[in-house]
Amino acid sequence: MAAWLVRRLVASIAIVFAVVTITFFVVHLAHGTPCGSQDRPLPPEVCQQLCRRFGCDKPLLVQYGMYLARLGHGDLGESIGLHRPIADALAEAIPNTFILALAALLIDFALGLALGIYQAVRAGRFGDVAVGNVALLINSMPVFWLGLVLLLVFAQWLHWFPAGGITDPVLCPRIESPYCVLDFLWHLTLPALTLGLVGAASTARYQRAAMLEVVRQDYVRTARAKGLRERRVLLVHALRNALLPIITLFGLAFPFLFTGAVLIETVFAWPGMGRLAVSAILQRDYPVVTGAALLTSAMVVLGNLIADALYAVADPRIRVRAGEGGGGGGGRD
Amino acid sequence: MPNARRSTGLIPLAVLFLVAGCERPVGCTGEYCGTMVIAGGGEPDILLPPVSEFVITRDVTDQLFLKLADLGPSGNTIGDEDFQPQLAARWEWDAPTTLVFHLDTRARWQDGQAVTAADVAFTYDAYTDTLVNSSFRSSLRQVAAVTTRDSLTVVFRFRQRYPEMFYDAVYHMRILPAHLLREVPREQWRSTAFGRAPVGDGPYRFVAWKAGESIELAADSAFFLGRPHLRRVIWRFTPDQQVAVTQLLAGDADAVEVLVTPDNVQRARADTQLATYPYKGSAYGYVGFNLAAPGDSTRPHPLFGDRDLRRALFMATDRERLLRNVFGDLAKVPPGPLSQLWWIWDPEIRELPYDSGQAARLLTRTGWIDTDGDGIRDKDGKPLAFRLLLPTTSAIRRQYARLLQEQFRIAGVDVQLDEVDFGLYNERARAGRFDALLNTWNTDPTPSSGFPQTWTPAGFGRSNYTRYDNPEVDRLVDQAVASAANRDQARRAWRAAVETLNRDAPGIFLFATSNVAAVHKRIVDVTIRPDSWLALLRTWRIPADRLTDRDRVER
Repeated sequence: MAAWLVRRLVASIAIVFAVVTITFFVVHLAHGTPCGSQDRPLPPEVCQQLCRRFGCDKPLLVQYGMYLARLGHGDLGESIGLHRPIADALAEAIPNTFILALAALLIDFALGLALGIYQAVRAGRFGDVAVGNVALLINSMPVFWLGLVLLLVFAQWLHWFPAGGITDPVLCPRIESPYCVLDFLWHLTLPALTLGLVGAASTARYQRAAMLEVVRQDYVRTARAKGLRERRVLLVHALRNALLPIITLFGLAFPFLFTGAVLIETVFAWPGMGRLAVSAILQRDYPVVTGAALLTSAMVVLGNLIADALYAVADPRIRVRAGEGGGGGGGRD
Repeated sequence: MPNARRSTGLIPLAVLFLVAGCERPVGCTGEYCGTMVIAGGGEPDILLPPVSEFVITRDVTDQLFLKLADLGPSGNTIGDEDFQPQLAARWEWDAPTTLVFHLDTRARWQDGQAVTAADVAFTYDAYTDTLVNSSFRSSLRQVAAVTTRDSLTVVFRFRQRYPEMFYDAVYHMRILPAHLLREVPREQWRSTAFGRAPVGDGPYRFVAWKAGESIELAADSAFFLGRPHLRRVIWRFTPDQQVAVTQLLAGDADAVEVLVTPDNVQRARADTQLATYPYKGSAYGYVGFNLAAPGDSTRPHPLFGDRDLRRALFMATDRERLLRNVFGDLAKVPPGPLSQLWWIWDPEIRELPYDSGQAARLLTRTGWIDTDGDGIRDKDGKPLAFRLLLPTTSAIRRQYARLLQEQFRIAGVDVQLDEVDFGLYNERARAGRFDALLNTWNTDPTPSSGFPQTWTPAGFGRSNYTRYDNPEVDRLVDQAVASAANRDQARRAWRAAVETLNRDAPGIFLFATSNVAAVHKRIVDVTIRPDSWLALLRTWRIPADRLTDRDRVER
C-alpha cells in the first residue's frame, strides 16, 4: 500500500508540474499585454516599466526559469493586476471554491445516488422514465446557462435567494454568528445547486445502471431467498457493490466541479478561484493564471488520489492487490 | 431595497424565524444612519490613487482622500472660479505661473494628524516619481514644482501659463499622508499594505476589504466639511456591470452607476423601489480607420490612406439607426470625436451626412465597382474588404459590429470581424496591427488633454491608434487649448478643429453615451456629477422615517 501511495504521489507531482508548465507557456504565448484596464489603458512608458518589474520583457525561457526558481522556494510571485502576493489572493479564494465544490459534490452524490436507486427499483416504470428524462434534460444544459436560469427565477423573480455574493455585507460582514452561518448557506444554495444538479443527473444514470447490474447477481437473489426485506436487500447488500463505479465517478467529478466553478463563480459573483482565474486571464495577469492552474491541478490530482483510496476501501480485492504491490494503475482494473 | 423584498421569500423567512434570537440589535436613529450597498462591476486593485487606473478605485478613494479643490456643478475646467474648496480653504495667484494654496486648518488625517503642506508636496513628488510609475504623471507635466511656504501654505509653479492650470493642479492628485507613506520604498507602492487598508482625510473612513466580495467604508463623523449622512457605504463586487444590475434588480444592492442597456433601464423604471438618474456619459465610440499600413506606420494603409474611401464609408453609415438599435435613447450620435461631458459638445458642428447615394457615387468615382456581380465592389481585381477589430468584452461594440457589417455589405463592402479579448485588442490597437477598429474612450472632463492625445501626432504610440495627422487640426487644437480662457474664441477654434477632422473622416463617430444610474428610493438628495458619479455622495441621505431595520443596525 505504501509503495502504491508513493508511486501515485510521484505521478501526481509530475502531472501538476506538466500542467503548470503547459499553462505557463500557453498564457505567455497568447498575445496581449497586462497593461491596464478597459477603464484606462496604461500609458506605454508606464506599461513598459511595469513589464520590466515583472520580467515580462525577458525571453520566455528565462521567465520560466525564474518562475521555477521562485516556485522552488514556495513563492508563487506577485500579481500584476491585484498588486499583492498571489499566495494571499489564492489563500482567500481557495476556501470559497472548496466549500462550493464540496456542497455541489454533496448535492451531486446524495441526489444522484437517491435518484439512481429509485430508478433502478422502478426500472421501466413511469417514475424511472420521468426521472431519467429530467436528468437527461439537466445533463444536457450548459452549467452556466442553468445558473443563469436559476438566478433569474429564484433571485430576480421570486426573491427567494440572493443574486450572488457570499454573505449579506450589511448584516454579516464576517461569519461569526449562527445567523451569518445560515446567511452563508443561503447564499451558497443556488451556486451549489447549479453545479450539483448537473452532476447529480449523470450520477443518477451511472447509479441506476450499476444497481440494475448488481440486483441480477446470485447473491442478491440469495438474500431475497433468505427472506430479507427488500429495503435491506437493496440498501445493504446490493448498494455496496453498486457503489464501486460511483467511486470512480467521484474522482472524475473533481475536474468537472473545478471547471464548472470557473463559470458558476462568475455568474453568481462567488469570490473563489474560478472567478479569480477568469479575471486574471482577461487582464493577462500571468502569475495568477499559472498559480491558479497549479492549485487547481493539485486539488484535482488529490481528489483522484482520494477516490482511488476509497475504491480500495470499498473493494477488498483491490485492497489485497495494492497491499501485495500489484495494484498498479490505481486499482481501476 | 435589498432587504424588504428579499424577506418575501419563504426560505429566508423560515430561516430568519429559526434564528430570530440571533438577529443583531438595531439602534441607530436620526439623520445620520443608513447603509447603502453599491453593486460595482469589477473590484479595485489597490486603494492608492496614484497607482490605480480603475474607475471603481476612483469611486472608493474619492471618499477616502481629498483633493485641494474639486470641480463645481458646472463642470467648468477653465480658470478657478467654478472650483470648490476641499483641502484648500482658499488660494491666490502670486504670479501668472505661481499658484498658492492655503490649507484648511481643520483638515485631519483619520489617525488624528493634521493635513499639512508637506503632505501636498510629498503627494506631487510621488505622482511624478518614475519609481511610483503613476499613469497620471503626464497630466502633471506642466507643473514645474510644488513647494511649501509654511505648514499650511503650498506653492505650485507652472512651466507656462495656460487656461487649465488650476484644473491640472487640483484634479489629478488626491493628497496622501506623508507620515504614513514616506517610509514605503517608492517602487513598492503598487503592493504596499497601506493600499489595502488606507488612512485618508475624506468624508469616509476605511473599514474592511474582503477580496472578491466587498469594501466597506464608514462615515467620519468629525469630517471638517460636514458629516456625511449615510453612515456606511458598501461596495459589493461583481464580475461585470450586467451582474451588478442583476443584483440591483434582485434587491441585493441599493445603487448602480450605470444600467448599461435600455432593457435594464426599463426594468429599473418599472421597479417601484428604484429611482433612475440620467446623466451625461463620458464615453464616445467610433470606428477608427488605420491610416497607416498595419504594423508599418511609414506607409499609408492600402485602403484607408484614401480620404475619399473613408468619406464614402462614413456617408454609407446610418449612425442614427444603429444607435437606436443598440442604445435606444441611452446615447447620442456625436458631432465628431466628442463625449457629452465636454463643453465643446455642439450639435451644430458640421459633419458628413448619411447619404448612401452619394457614398455609392463616391465609391464608383474612385474606381470601386462590383465588376463580378458578387455584391462586393472591387478595383484592380481586389475586393473592397477589410477587417474590423473589436474586444469580445464589450457587448455594445459586438452588437454595433454586426450591424455595421450589414450596412457596409449593402454598400458593397465586405467586413470581417476580428473579435479578440481585451488584452490582445489593446496590444494590436497600440501596435497599429488592424485595418479598422471599434474603439471607445472614457474622457476626462476637458477635451484639452484627451483630444490631442487621440487625434494629433502627440498621441502617436499612445492613444492615436488611427495615426490621424492633419497639421491644420493640430494648429486649431493648439489655438483652442491656448485660448480656452476666452470661451467663445476657444469654442470657435474647437469647432473649426472638429469640422476639419470630420471632413477627413479618420473614423465614423457612432455614439456618445448618456448614463442612467439607479438608486433605491429611500435614499434622497441624490446628486450625480457626471465626471464622477459619487463625488457628492456625502450629501445623499436617508430620511429618519424611511430607515429600515438594516439601516439601523449597529456594528
